[in-house]
Amino acid sequence: MKRLIPVLLLAVAACGAQPADSAPATTLTWAIETQPITLNPQLWAQNKVRLLVFNQFDALLSKAEDGSFRPWLATSWKVSDDKLTYTLDLRDDVTFHDGTKFDAAAVKANLDQFLVPGYNPAVAAIQLKAFDRAEVAAPYQVKITLKEADALFLDFLASPYAGQVSPKALKSAKDLRFGGLDLAGTGPFILDRYVQGQEIHYRRNPAYNWPPAGAAHRGPAHLSEITYRFLPEAAVRIGALSSGQVQVIEGVPATDVALIKKDPNLALQTSLNSGTAYSYYFNTEHAPFDDQRVREAFREAVNVDAVLKSVYQGTATRAWSIVGAKSPFYDATLENGYGGDVAKANALLDAAGWKQRDAEGYRVKAGKRLTVREVASAPFVRDRRDILAQAVQAQVKQNAGIDLQVKIVDQGSAQKALDENEYELFGNSRGDSDAGAALNLILPEKAAINRTRFADPKVDSWLAAASATHDQAEREKLYARVQRAAVVDNAIVFPLYVPADQIAAQKSVQGLGFDPASGTPASAYDVRIGT
Amino acid sequence: MIKRLGTALAVLWAAATASYVALLLAPGDTIDILVGDGPDTPEIRTKIITEWGLDRPEFVQYLSYLWRLLHGDLGRSYQLQRGVGEILATQIGPTVQLTLAAAGTGVALAGIIAIVTAGRGRWLRGVTSAAELVSVSVPPFLIGIVLLSVFSFTLGWFPVSGAQGPRALVLPALALGLPVAGVLGQVLRGGLERALEQPFAVTARARGLTERALVARHALRHALIPALTLAGWFTGTLLGGAVITEVLFGRPGLGQVAMQAVTGRDMPVVMAVVLLSAVAYVTISTLLDLAYRVIDPRIRG
Repeated sequence: MKRLIPVLLLAVAACGAQPADSAPATTLTWAIETQPITLNPQLWAQNKVRLLVFNQFDALLSKAEDGSFRPWLATSWKVSDDKLTYTLDLRDDVTFHDGTKFDAAAVKANLDQFLVPGYNPAVAAIQLKAFDRAEVAAPYQVKITLKEADALFLDFLASPYAGQVSPKALKSAKDLRFGGLDLAGTGPFILDRYVQGQEIHYRRNPAYNWPPAGAAHRGPAHLSEITYRFLPEAAVRIGALSSGQVQVIEGVPATDVALIKKDPNLALQTSLNSGTAYSYYFNTEHAPFDDQRVREAFREAVNVDAVLKSVYQGTATRAWSIVGAKSPFYDATLENGYGGDVAKANALLDAAGWKQRDAEGYRVKAGKRLTVREVASAPFVRDRRDILAQAVQAQVKQNAGIDLQVKIVDQGSAQKALDENEYELFGNSRGDSDAGAALNLILPEKAAINRTRFADPKVDSWLAAASATHDQAEREKLYARVQRAAVVDNAIVFPLYVPADQIAAQKSVQGLGFDPASGTPASAYDVRIGT
Repeated sequence: MIKRLGTALAVLWAAATASYVALLLAPGDTIDILVGDGPDTPEIRTKIITEWGLDRPEFVQYLSYLWRLLHGDLGRSYQLQRGVGEILATQIGPTVQLTLAAAGTGVALAGIIAIVTAGRGRWLRGVTSAAELVSVSVPPFLIGIVLLSVFSFTLGWFPVSGAQGPRALVLPALALGLPVAGVLGQVLRGGLERALEQPFAVTARARGLTERALVARHALRHALIPALTLAGWFTGTLLGGAVITEVLFGRPGLGQVAMQAVTGRDMPVVMAVVLLSAVAYVTISTLLDLAYRVIDPRIRG
């Protein structure tokens, strides 16, 4: 093998590609928690595997932490005054891994692929609902026309869905829906092995020279090879890291943070996720949460700081709004606005008529116990959210005599309870890179996951207006109104904590970081070994 | 033999039907699962319903499922976006490897323990009985974690994950095989001890046979039949243990595919895995029946 590497380097240099001697052969093994259900970026559905997408694929734009957009495969873009036409100028030096050229026709082919019925109905209905057509204006210029203004369209162009796939592969891939080795992208790494349940392996793309603005270096990736092992058990990931069998892991549970920090050879990084905070949504359609006083009482009955400290050992960030603290739309004026006032909780419940107590200490009204049910689908329970629910359960019982029943069931049963309105609390967080996209799914009366069953035409109109403007300041103002309405004025939501991602690594591994758009681990492009 | 084949087919049909009915009765709507967390409009629903043929009556869906099954078409996974046959084909190898290694480890350990300890001193028996009890009662998950912590994380003898090479197979096979060894060891030793008290054993000893030769040539055969039955049954249930072991050790295999499919209500995959375990059971029990004839001359007659 040692003799092989110089030969390979020579071969690469001979091809006239980027000089690879500036990036010597180095390999890395990274243990990750979640397996991808598809390797096709256009069908991507898991934030936990976002770190894989941008190894193999590049998007048209890249999103910065402050919500602004930067060039990637598109060097510049213009939006017409009526907000309906987007003109994108593309790089002219980009090649797909299968040797075909990236150009305006490729971008059009990628966009048109979403119009194939049944290909990705979710993206077609949400992110591309305003998409009308794409035209090749010049070999490296593409013109996209929308049916109506959509502020979230740039976010789409910077998302994994806009990961550019070779048009040839779109036509000829053996299994387009799953993706795989023959689904060529333009990214810094080339996929060359995937073993379901075990690992995914990439080798460096020696020709790569088109990283997004904001990357730490240019030219090919530092690592010559990278392997991601799938290790779903946290204890096993941490053991594998501390024994040196892998160099990097993601997903460090709160209980193991101290262990990592104590080890002089390991380093830990965390980042808050984009999107919405993990929150309890009150079902406002029936008793007892149809009464705002009961909703407020529930929030006052919980000492969130104490609960988070005991469940997450002080590693969790408390949330004050439905929007996560990482989002540029986060309204910090909501901080310290509610919660933890037990006397107020009891006064509110008394006023709402829940005066009597039964033998077990729970409040009763007209012979009915103050019972609320949280229904959660087991596959979506992560981050010790089951333990968190138990801690909240203990607090609302002790502090206010509320009977919280936590039901963690299979996905089918959970869906059934939600459809049949047989729940009072619903816990959820979303990792959308634009928090507005998440709010559009949660708050409007007819939204897909409006679990509060709350309807306010004012909120709907603010959200619609915020989706139609590119004016960041205007959007901030509108989303601040929305947050205030949901958190303060109507108390339909109980924000608990802001989800975060962790990376732990051997100290020798440099350049690890987080994707500014999502707060999840970034691709391996800038990762290197040594100083 | 033809009768056996007929029975086997009937068992397989029953397994296919039972898994179909069970999933039909399970709470939740298939369309909801297919819609998932995504947007949910009537148009999307209609599209999904026609795509998967869910608009037909349930009985028709069942018949078409059986029909496709007869042609070797296991359908397409809802979740993984791939043909079920293709998924199983890539995942069955590692599971067979793991199951055989675990069964082999279990049987070998049980055999050694039983032969060494049968009829021996009280303290030796006490120690092995205790070890057997621990291996049976500790959950495989914990056995796996302990094995990993000691032999992988601390001593570094074996890698934590992957299906490359036999070294990566040692710890998972042990984790899965130890409980088997525990139960089998007890059964085998009990059988051996009973056999050694039988009249034929006394006769053999009178012929001047050493104790070791007696165990190897005569007593072991007697003790083997119940142990073998149990071993066959265990091999069938190892798939269940493989779920935990495969997830823990980051190994590819049917176990983790099955778990992902059950929690995600991925019906085609669940049904295929159930069917496959039925095939495994039927095959193993047929092989066992044949093995009885070899071991016990009385059955041959």
